[in-house]
Amino acid sequence: MKTIIRFFSSLKLAIALLILLVAASILGTLIPQGREAADYAVRYGRLAEPMVRLRLTDLFRSVWFLGLMGLFGLNIAVCTATRLGAKLRRTFRPKVENDPKSLAAGKVSARLRLDRSVAEAKETAIRALRASRYQVRVAEEPGTEGPSGTESAGADTGKAGGRIRIHLLGRKGTAGIFGADFVHLGLLVIIAGGIVTAAVGFRTDLGLNAGKTLDVPRAGFALRLDKFETERYADGSIKDWKSTLTVVEDGKDVRTEVIEVNHPLVHRGYSFYQSAWGLDWDNPDLTFWIERKDAPGTGRTSKIRVGEKTAFPEEGKKERSSGQRDDGGKETAADQPKKEAGMEWTVRRFFPDFVIGENNRPGTRSDQLNNPAALVEGWRGRRKVVEGWIFAAYPQVIRLRGEEAADWTIELRDAVAPEYSVIQASRDPGVSLIWIGCLLVMAGLFLAFYWPAREIRMTLQETEGPAAGTAGPGGTGRKRGSGRTEITAGGTASKSRDRFAVEFAGVTAALKE
Amino acid sequence: MTESAFFTIAFALYAAAALLYLAFLFGKKSKWVKAAFIAASAGLALHTVALVLRTFHSGHAPFTNMYESMSFLAWASVLALIIIEMMFKIPKVGAYVMLFVIAIMALASSPLMPKEAAPLVPALQSYWLWLHVSVTLLGEAFFAVAFITSIMYLRAKDPEKKAKMDSVSYRCVSIGFPLFTLGGLIFGMVWAEKAWGTYWNWDPKEVWSLITWFVFALYLHTRIVMGWKGKRSAFIAILGFLAALFTFFGVNYLLSGLHSYV
Repeated sequence: MKTIIRFFSSLKLAIALLILLVAASILGTLIPQGREAADYAVRYGRLAEPMVRLRLTDLFRSVWFLGLMGLFGLNIAVCTATRLGAKLRRTFRPKVENDPKSLAAGKVSARLRLDRSVAEAKETAIRALRASRYQVRVAEEPGTEGPSGTESAGADTGKAGGRIRIHLLGRKGTAGIFGADFVHLGLLVIIAGGIVTAAVGFRTDLGLNAGKTLDVPRAGFALRLDKFETERYADGSIKDWKSTLTVVEDGKDVRTEVIEVNHPLVHRGYSFYQSAWGLDWDNPDLTFWIERKDAPGTGRTSKIRVGEKTAFPEEGKKERSSGQRDDGGKETAADQPKKEAGMEWTVRRFFPDFVIGENNRPGTRSDQLNNPAALVEGWRGRRKVVEGWIFAAYPQVIRLRGEEAADWTIELRDAVAPEYSVIQASRDPGVSLIWIGCLLVMAGLFLAFYWPAREIRMTLQETEGPAAGTAGPGGTGRKRGSGRTEITAGGTASKSRDRFAVEFAGVTAALKE
Repeated sequence: MTESAFFTIAFALYAAAALLYLAFLFGKKSKWVKAAFIAASAGLALHTVALVLRTFHSGHAPFTNMYESMSFLAWASVLALIIIEMMFKIPKVGAYVMLFVIAIMALASSPLMPKEAAPLVPALQSYWLWLHVSVTLLGEAFFAVAFITSIMYLRAKDPEKKAKMDSVSYRCVSIGFPLFTLGGLIFGMVWAEKAWGTYWNWDPKEVWSLITWFVFALYLHTRIVMGWKGKRSAFIAILGFLAALFTFFGVNYLLSGLHSYV
């Protein structure tokens, strides 16, 4: 168990994992992610198959990458936990007693004598530390009258020699030592947020035409698109998309809001984003030019909807009827009454970018108006008399079929699709964890870099005067008075040690005042 | 005067500052440093005017295409240089930073960069554009100074100068890293959540920001916990800046993704 903990708390593991994560991430950006298998076959040939099998093509969701991330998280957690206990103890239950010898041996240290009693010197020292905004803790070793020095404190901290000894611990910016821990905790919370997102977060696209209502999956309420607008700049580029959305609960409108990109609607833990838009070519607005060939000048434009029959009033119908009888000559008596039925046009199918696809079936290549084509039909009563594909771009190649095929000119003049709005609905409880984690990370970075923790320790000791000669060579060369109290001071700082040394000198100078 | 006139004069002042810093490098006369510092500051002031004018004309933050972003990166780098120079009094860094700035300014004004202020696509219409891009580029500017001081460390012979460069390089990272974390990653995530509905998409720009972040995390851990200093630290800082540079340029030109507008 100990070996496992030591393994996971080692910095070497952290560094190895960082390097591996960097390498894997680079790989993940060099290989296009999440494409079709056929794409990879073209791009990488025989390497494609092993790459797909190793999930290099969906690397950031692969088990091994997530495993690396998991190990990284574990590493951070164990590292932080093993160091945190000692740090907390040092912060909240610090050892105030000092060993003057090791204090004097520190880089920032001083030894001086004051011509005051220990008690007076203590007050002076505390005042000096507080003046520099240090929080001070005091521990006193009562003088033992005998020379034995059997007190436990004395045994710990050097030779008290039975005289009164006072220890001071001044600290400030102690929170700074927790900077790295806050950062690490924040990262763990972020990782946890990512796990929550992956486990229970859900996102789906809702395609909505104006007026349409859709149930939001798993939400227990519905969403209606009241209006969808595309705003454009003067040069025709898109300025914004705006969807007016109404939340419908139990058949009642609850709230209506206009959303746009960067301004989602949030309702009961669900967020609705303006995510995309599209052209609804299933319900196009088509304009045709229709004319009877034997009645020039009677042609006109006509709007015809897909799947709906639209009457086309024929002027000079009688003439037309007789003319057709002469041409066709194959009518029977049963057809006679239907002949008189008015002409109705309808659009059976429409494609904005007509193409003959697989199996020779017509389809569309894109939703752009590159080659708009409509399959139109002309009906008289229940009889289809004209039928054929017509192409807006190629009016000359149109071939109509049917008994009246030769009688009509029909052209596709205009095609407009209503825009529909794609709303992304999402529910992701992981998001709040992510923000908490981010706050912790930033707070931690601030503490780690800009909140220097400083500590000044002092030991005040009663002395017998200069004759005792207790001052060692570790002193800073200050003029030693012949005082009754000897002070040994030392300090440490987590950051900006130069500035701390100046402050330390200021504090020790203040002792002599 | 137009924005481009201010830009050009700023460019000229930066070039003058670079020459003066170089003159100091070879001639060691401290009056040249003073003149260089003044030229750089004046250039920064005029550059600021150019950025403000552009903001007024276009009606949006001045970093929505490559030209604008590079101009802003140059601006941020001069600002970083001035801050670092005032903090540490290291005039020798000036020459190299100004050369970097000039390279960026030259790239920005090259004919390859379309300069027209295009209207903002919907995804960019957010105040997060200001926060995300400016803070990130400011962080990257400090990485740039760290990069330069790291190279100077590697090239220096005098141990005192080496120690100074090592410590300045660390101080730059300690300013750049929090800024980059906040602007690049955190503000980026907040904005992505608002605009795209997901805080993280593994988009190449996001991944490269994370790579940059990992590299500097490596720098900090090896340095603070393992006590690495000097050569190895300098190498990591150099790698980190190169990663940041790739995040900025490389991703746009070599990889495709959601961040394709800038």
